[in-house]
Amino acid sequence: MEWNTAPANVRSTNGRQALFWKRFKKQKLLHLFVGLGIVFLLIFSYSPMFGILMAFKDYSISTGIQGIFTSEWVGLDHFKEFVNDYQFGTIVRNTLMLSFLKVLFTFPAPILLAILLNEAKNLRFKRFVQTVSYLPHFISWVVVVGISFSFFSVDIGVVNKALMGLGIIDKPLAILTSPNYFWGLSVGSAVWKEMGWWTIIFLAAIAGINPSLYEAAEMDGAGRLARIRHITFPGMKGTIVVVLILTIGSILGGGLVGSNFEQAFLFGNTINNPTSEIVQTYAFKVGLKDGRFSYAAAIDLIQSVISVILIFSSNFIAKRASGSSLF
Amino acid sequence: MNRLVLKRLYSSLVVVLVLALLSACSKSNGGGNQGTPEASPSAAGSEPASHGKDPVELSLFIDAPWYPVKEWKGPVADKITEKTGVKLKVTIATDDKQLPLMIASGDLPDLVFTYANVDRLSDSKLSYPWNELIANYAPDFKIDKTRIAIHTMDDGNFYTVRNAFATQEEMAQNKYSLGNDGNPGIAVREDILKELGNPPLRTLDDFVKVLGRVKEKYPDMIPLTMDKDWMEQYFLQQSGVEGLLDGWYERDGKVDYVLRQPETLEYFKFMNSLYRSGFILAENFAYTNDQIDDQYATSGKAFAHSHTVSVADSDNIKVKNNGGSFTFKLLPSALSDKTVSVSSGLGFAGTFITKNNKDPEASIKFIQYLASEEGKKLTMFGVEGVHWTWNDEGYPNLKYDPSDSDFVNGNGIKWWYLYNDGVTEGMLSYVPGTQKTQALMERKAFTVYKPALGLIQTQPDSPEKTLKTKIDEMVKNEKVKIYLAKSEEEAVANYNNMLKNAEKLGLQKLVDWANETYQKKKDLFQ
Repeated sequence: MEWNTAPANVRSTNGRQALFWKRFKKQKLLHLFVGLGIVFLLIFSYSPMFGILMAFKDYSISTGIQGIFTSEWVGLDHFKEFVNDYQFGTIVRNTLMLSFLKVLFTFPAPILLAILLNEAKNLRFKRFVQTVSYLPHFISWVVVVGISFSFFSVDIGVVNKALMGLGIIDKPLAILTSPNYFWGLSVGSAVWKEMGWWTIIFLAAIAGINPSLYEAAEMDGAGRLARIRHITFPGMKGTIVVVLILTIGSILGGGLVGSNFEQAFLFGNTINNPTSEIVQTYAFKVGLKDGRFSYAAAIDLIQSVISVILIFSSNFIAKRASGSSLF
Repeated sequence: MNRLVLKRLYSSLVVVLVLALLSACSKSNGGGNQGTPEASPSAAGSEPASHGKDPVELSLFIDAPWYPVKEWKGPVADKITEKTGVKLKVTIATDDKQLPLMIASGDLPDLVFTYANVDRLSDSKLSYPWNELIANYAPDFKIDKTRIAIHTMDDGNFYTVRNAFATQEEMAQNKYSLGNDGNPGIAVREDILKELGNPPLRTLDDFVKVLGRVKEKYPDMIPLTMDKDWMEQYFLQQSGVEGLLDGWYERDGKVDYVLRQPETLEYFKFMNSLYRSGFILAENFAYTNDQIDDQYATSGKAFAHSHTVSVADSDNIKVKNNGGSFTFKLLPSALSDKTVSVSSGLGFAGTFITKNNKDPEASIKFIQYLASEEGKKLTMFGVEGVHWTWNDEGYPNLKYDPSDSDFVNGNGIKWWYLYNDGVTEGMLSYVPGTQKTQALMERKAFTVYKPALGLIQTQPDSPEKTLKTKIDEMVKNEKVKIYLAKSEEEAVANYNNMLKNAEKLGLQKLVDWANETYQKKKDLFQ
């Protein structure tokens, strides 16, 4: 990483400039990478942000893009409307619960799987498990939800049939059509779908641990659990903290597995609506279906603000608690 | 950690993140392009319609995911192209959000056929007013005053005319015009009724008793399966409710929301009792697909099937085609002395000529042809001579069974009714001897016409529209809690709670506005 080391004692501005360009030339490939990333962010993340103006205006889609600037200001009316909505409490509770439960279960799962796989001695078995566990990542949610019908439907679902056959239940469980099962269904399917994928990154972290540490520990008489606790786990800590901060930043979207919207939208129906309606699906409904873009923009803006607060506070806490942080 | 490890770790992190990003991108690309109609390059440069030249190709978006015809083909479509020089490139909606999305992105096709977004497209920024196009390109296209008045927006223009509309006088003058499929019906298994000893089916109580006996004797059968769009109408009418749950009813010259009509609570109690007795599946309320109920019914897994008046006829044809041996029979249209059907309809769906239209002249002339006597009969009955001949009594002698949906859809009969009227459509139902025809004749007896109620229409982007949408969305969520309540007390409590929510959202304001509009517009029909 020699490009990071700046030579000391640069005197004249001229010399400094020349040096700058020399260094720039040397690093041009890296600058190209960074530049592309910045352009990407500018086009897809920053430039659409002027649309936030909508949240404070009475915008109608038929006025086109310029309407965003010409329409009337209404201040915080849309925000007030959302907060006073009869479903506001339910929607916010659902969003927070779903997000919280998902992080609680989907975050530790890949870490555990990575440690388990690391301990598996049979290489073939390890590869097999890894492949099988990360393949679901490539199935889209639409397909997962489609498949889930043949598993969980009251009428034809394999799971219900099996449980009934074994005499564990005497009435089929309305897993897909009851507010009581929606969170479990979402968290369960998210763990199944994304656990293997995120295991890869933790396995990479484990692979980076110096094997001599294990040998030394073994010599000192550390057992398997002790080695996991004192070597594997501390070796992964940096990665875990980075991933955790990213997770918490996107917690309202479902954390590292994302998919809050997809699940609420696809698994959601009029019956499980009391637990499946979340901020994003609500914004989608009022925004696209009812064409109330201003109101939808205001709703999403509230969510973005909460996310920003969460990422800063988790970063702060991580810095305090473990010394490592994202920024 | 040493540097090498860090490098390895971060490079793997980068790979994962890039992959995640790429997969996310590809996903959204796929969704965005799906079903977006593209202007065909061959049509863009072609001449306006006239005979002998290549037909103009116009893109048409049909805002109805259930639409049974998906392509511009078959004898009826060919004949229309021959007569008008217009060919359509058809896209059927994948869901009810696609058209709103297209409006938002400015990706509208040449023509849009919709019922759910009539008010939103009636906007000079999105569509051409028909009155302008008629004045400019088709001065001899005459539309009657009532239809124009119904569709005229606050800006003085009308942007479409809905099909399937007929005034009470028009219906009265045409005794062979009966009405259309837009009326509810329930079919029951004839063979099972026989096995039960043909119990009487004259009242709602009779029906409930039969459902109970079916459940007892055939525990594996679903007593009643309902089409997702036809769950409520039949029982609403039997309970004496004068409209749909998002509609208006009139008492002594005053208008109120149907939700508040006292009979509505009775209706909810009845539906809830069906659920608590185990006659309907909870899942039924979550169906997103309108084929599930048909499969239950025609595969013999359900006793009763709730859909439209043609349900018995069309189920029977399907069962026969599948090699089944049982038959369905339609329940009487009235199962109680309270039964009422208020026709406040202004028609079903309308065609819009959007601002993106590449040939407005050909488009309005195309509609003018569909609106002619010849065009109306061609779309509704099929090709004269091939599919029907005219009976001098005043109705067509059809050479096919209009309930045979495979035949009708396969030939493109009826569904190209981008412009039509209720009288012509009503004649398609006049086939002496069919169950549907009989049911529709029964229905004529208890149908009351109050078209003025239909004029209570919210304008796009108006505060009333927002208010009504919010209330209707709330009802959509809350009513399921009433249907699926565990006891009658809970159902009543949930109903009251729903009303309270509606009041809180501003129902009274909406009702006041509706009364004002109603008083202003009701004279149109007198």
